[in-house]
Amino acid sequence: MEYIVETRGLTKQYGDKEVVKDVDLKVPKSCVYGFMGPNGAGKSTTLKMLLGLIHISAGQVTIGGERVNRKNRIAILKGTGSLIESPSYYGHLTGRENLEIVQTLKRVPEKEIDQVLKLVRMEEQQNKKVREYSLGMKQRLGLAEALLGSPSLLILDEPTNGLDPAGIQEIRELIRELPRRMGMTVLVSSHLLGEMDQMADYVGIINHGQLIFQDKLEALHEHSRDNLRLCVMNQTAALHILKREGIPCVLKESALELPRLENDAAAQLIGRLCEGGAGVYRAEEKLKSLEEIFLSLTGRRGSL
Amino acid sequence: MLGEWKTEWMKVRRRKIALVPAAFLLFTFLWLSWAVRSSHMESEEDSWMWLLMCLGLVNTILIPAMSAMLASRLCDAELKGNTLKLLCTMEEKGRLFDMKLLTGASYMGVYVAAELVMMAAFGRMHNFAGGITLRQLVCFLLQSGLVSMGVLLLQMLLSLFSANQILPLAVGLAGSFLGLFSWFIRLPFWRAVVWAYYNLLGYIGQNWDESSRIVSYYEVPLDRWALITLLAALPAGYILGRQLFIHRTPGCG
Repeated sequence: MEYIVETRGLTKQYGDKEVVKDVDLKVPKSCVYGFMGPNGAGKSTTLKMLLGLIHISAGQVTIGGERVNRKNRIAILKGTGSLIESPSYYGHLTGRENLEIVQTLKRVPEKEIDQVLKLVRMEEQQNKKVREYSLGMKQRLGLAEALLGSPSLLILDEPTNGLDPAGIQEIRELIRELPRRMGMTVLVSSHLLGEMDQMADYVGIINHGQLIFQDKLEALHEHSRDNLRLCVMNQTAALHILKREGIPCVLKESALELPRLENDAAAQLIGRLCEGGAGVYRAEEKLKSLEEIFLSLTGRRGSL
Repeated sequence: MLGEWKTEWMKVRRRKIALVPAAFLLFTFLWLSWAVRSSHMESEEDSWMWLLMCLGLVNTILIPAMSAMLASRLCDAELKGNTLKLLCTMEEKGRLFDMKLLTGASYMGVYVAAELVMMAAFGRMHNFAGGITLRQLVCFLLQSGLVSMGVLLLQMLLSLFSANQILPLAVGLAGSFLGLFSWFIRLPFWRAVVWAYYNLLGYIGQNWDESSRIVSYYEVPLDRWALITLLAALPAGYILGRQLFIHRTPGCG
């Protein structure tokens, strides 16, 4: 597989503290790669290292097949667009004037300004001073700045921050469409798992500075090993039997949750529960939500 | 490089930055107009030397404050709008620093040139005899131009690295006072204070006759060590500041 971004042993150290440890990121071309992790996990630091905004303590970054160094950094980044943490803007200038600055620096034709303004639906607000924009509009402007020059790689750090629900949906749809419409690769970070479920093709999960999962979104869902959920009339009797059988369980919303069992084992257990007077009236499989998978991954790294 | 230079001017649109040096120039002119009335010169030939000396003193007081305001106006938009993390993906950090400094230096250069024009107009208005010599012109440019560039460099660095612009403005005002004190109090450590170089690079001396209350002016040799120190400190300060900006770019960490 061809990767547009590849890192090897990417590490960032502040004093004795390693905030990013040996991250091997592999972002395939023309996809939406969701970079997830809890707050403070090292997402922004990793993205800033990719863009050369902060010094790399160890490791290497390859973008578009070229290893990034101090000399070729700007030339390589010409083919990228980025929006890191919060949007960048000059409040005393209009949205269009802000875009003109980026357009001049990126050396792209002026007509592209109109194209990106249309793309982020900001044509009507383009001549308003940015300090009068809402946070959502500033975020759109940041996205328009990133999109100028039709970059092959778009690096977005929490791009839906501060947007209203309609704006969030709009930006998600836009991000979703970019690989298809413009052949772009979007590397997008977020701590909102539901968001990734709607946007990403591939996901990487970082926790405490370490990349603990990286694969297709479907592969992440495969981690959602189903639980067996039992509703019983007599919980005390059921718990006694389960303990005797050595089957771990947790009580959730007045039902018992057990790990997934093979068909035979499940049939036997239900039989024993009925014989023991537990009174099983419902048995169902429960899929883990993405949140639960995420928590299980980040909370029990050792199990991976 | 032209693109980067152009964007620096695009950024300052509608900021009315030119009003800062214009206001200071007007204030300088008014100050000199007031001062010329109470001046008692021995001869008409002293007029130009009086003007050069007076302007040196006024610059000591006003240029540090003006530099602080100028640097703050040029840099605070980058900090307020978190733009450096975007710019540094499109522009070399070192070049961005150079362009920013060059923009500030352009304003300062125009200011010093405008002072020269104002000086000529002032002399004509008050019918000063003769004119300034080449030596005096060079010394003026060293005193007002070179020292002001050093002061501006310091202020630009402070403004770029201060989220709150009160600190650089306070330093600028403190610099005005320190510079002024250096004209009247002889202290060994003035050579380590950039604002004192307006006095250290002074090239006009004066004698005041207490009985007649008449002042006579004369040329004094330039303090070569002060000039050498400044000429060495300026590029060193620039290189250090540039490296600091490259490795500790504000807003990118």
